[in-house]
Amino acid sequence: MKRNHWYAALFLAPAAICLLVFSYLPLIQDVWLSFHTWNMVSPTMKFVGLQNYQQLCSGTELSKVLFNTLLYVFILIILNFILPYLLSFIMAHGMTSCNFFYRSALFIPSTLSLAVASIIFLWILNPLAGPLHIILSEIGLESPRWFKESGFAIAAIGMIIGWKVFGYNLIVMLAAMVAVPQDLLEAAKLENASKWQIFRHIILPLTSPTALYVFVITVVFGLQYVLVPVNMLTQGGPDQGSTNLVYIIYQYGFIFFQTGKAAAFAVLTIFFYSGFLLLKAVLDKKVHYEN
Amino acid sequence: MNKLQKALVLFFIGTLTIGAAGCGGASTTTQSSSEKTKIEYWHVAAESFGGATVKSLVEQFNKENPDIEVVEKYNPDMYKGLTQNLQAAMASGNNPDVVQMGYSYLNYAAENLKYDNIEELIAKQSPEDKTFLQDNFLPNVLALAKTSDGKQIGIPYSMSVPVLYYNPEIFKQAGLDPDRPPQTWQEVVKAAKTIKDKTGNVGFFMQEYADNWAQQALIESNGGQVLTQKDGKTVAGFDSPEAAEAYQLLADMVKDGSGLHATNEEGFQAFLSGKLGMVCTTIGKRENFEKSAKFTVESTQFPSFAGKTKKVPAGGNFLMVFSKDAQKQKAAWRFIKFLESPESLATWTKGTGYLPPRKGVTEDPNGLKQFTEENKNMQSAMSQMPYIVNWASFPGANGLQAEQALIDVRDIILSGKETAASALKAAAEKVNALL
Repeated sequence: MKRNHWYAALFLAPAAICLLVFSYLPLIQDVWLSFHTWNMVSPTMKFVGLQNYQQLCSGTELSKVLFNTLLYVFILIILNFILPYLLSFIMAHGMTSCNFFYRSALFIPSTLSLAVASIIFLWILNPLAGPLHIILSEIGLESPRWFKESGFAIAAIGMIIGWKVFGYNLIVMLAAMVAVPQDLLEAAKLENASKWQIFRHIILPLTSPTALYVFVITVVFGLQYVLVPVNMLTQGGPDQGSTNLVYIIYQYGFIFFQTGKAAAFAVLTIFFYSGFLLLKAVLDKKVHYEN
Repeated sequence: MNKLQKALVLFFIGTLTIGAAGCGGASTTTQSSSEKTKIEYWHVAAESFGGATVKSLVEQFNKENPDIEVVEKYNPDMYKGLTQNLQAAMASGNNPDVVQMGYSYLNYAAENLKYDNIEELIAKQSPEDKTFLQDNFLPNVLALAKTSDGKQIGIPYSMSVPVLYYNPEIFKQAGLDPDRPPQTWQEVVKAAKTIKDKTGNVGFFMQEYADNWAQQALIESNGGQVLTQKDGKTVAGFDSPEAAEAYQLLADMVKDGSGLHATNEEGFQAFLSGKLGMVCTTIGKRENFEKSAKFTVESTQFPSFAGKTKKVPAGGNFLMVFSKDAQKQKAAWRFIKFLESPESLATWTKGTGYLPPRKGVTEDPNGLKQFTEENKNMQSAMSQMPYIVNWASFPGANGLQAEQALIDVRDIILSGKETAASALKAAAEKVNALL
């Protein structure tokens, strides 16, 4: 038995050490850094206690950043969770032909990088020379200045991320939809169950584990994806109108060189995500796992 | 099993041999260059931005000076990356000798780095060049590498200035004379309006990078100031009526549709595809604009305000020296003299689009005489040399964050949410709290 433990520890060690060195150690260092001011190049760090947190909470910036973050979450959930869910349902249980074509066509964007997606959208949304402007002006509308009006900027960046992530989430959801056993569905049909009943009592529970997974990655990865288009297209502007919890860390750390404040924002982000994980834990109980 | 063992043995022998060969190689090179003075030159010129020119210049210098070997080292991530590497190198005592430093890092470099005072270095190591700086550089250009307390911490090397690019075809369509582009801001406003009314295209766009470089030129040309000294402290100076008036001029253009408020890339795309009349941005974009536009891009000087002196901040970098011993200092100075020679500066200008900081390069037949005669757009930049001023460098640990406040206020003003006067006032309070 004891020998077994040693073996187990031995095999776990590489993974555990990596996790410790690359995940938990930086986490502790981050908390430590958040009590200091340091510009990344000066040889000395100055201990300032809770000052970084105080400054962070006293400004108007924090509320703006949190509000933007929630707005991003809202848009991302619609584009990358609800829409793929509905579409995968239709593709698995409503469509009879062209399935392969749709699958590939919708999946292709997710193979491109976000930087490429950003450039493509920059061109499409150009308020003077872009194709969208041409279409809008044909019907007598004026194109908004997408990246210079705060609500529009978040919507446009959400769209870029949606364009990239949608296909992948769809394929994952589709796999779950297709895996719903046919005999169950046919039995329900024989019992004269309505479409809604079939959806509510068979498909929804059986696809819920995958749906939860897609939901979590939509939020967790989606907010991180924001960094690339924001950095490339708006730098957090207009007037901090497109920044979020992830970009603000980057901005404080690598543009303002105030790593202490950046670290404080990072700690706050950890709390934000743990709040989200609590929600996930609640949802987890409602999910139907087969085994 | 046997095969695997054999493969492993071969693999280890292989790595050992390569490692040994590597060591051998390294030791021979140090031996052969030991009688030469070896100095390091750090730069930020990426392959797509003058990197090849740096290499060819260094190669040429090494060939002409057999007793010196210059090793060039590219530092990614511009001046920020270079400064970080520099701090690390200095901590370990292996500092480079000649370094490119950005003008916006002037205060930072003076406050945080142990550099060689360039005037002392010349007086000590090369007394015959005592008047080299005064003889060859305009005083306003020399001041670009001078701190506010008058220390010459380096020598200006690369310079860029804002110019006004325009599309002559749109000018013709609007009934404007492309040979007589606007020279003052009042004329710019009028021309933009005419373009909008006659052609339906938007008339004007000023660059909106994540800095205030072009906006500083606008404010200061109207007699305003971005930063000013008060009781020995640097404070915001942009809450003046002059600054507000200049900024309001832009905002009004955006408001009536003759000006564009968009991201930089959007503005440039629109200009290059022929949907925008005039763009105000850096001469560094010249090559790119000339290549990608569907029309012949023309340009003129950065406009002035009627009756006022124009002021354009310099972008780019200056050279700093960090050598410790006399021999390296001598070598570093010879290398700088080579880089600042009319011939080398001409090569550098052609390779990058930067202006030469030295007097007379433009007229020198060995320099850029032919090039400027052929390239009219270069002339509009070079004729602005007398108007060059320092790029405002926000001091202190919060300096960069303070600058962000001024970037944010640009969006507030240009979107028409607030008038320039009130928005600038609020931003000045924010900046002063940070400085």
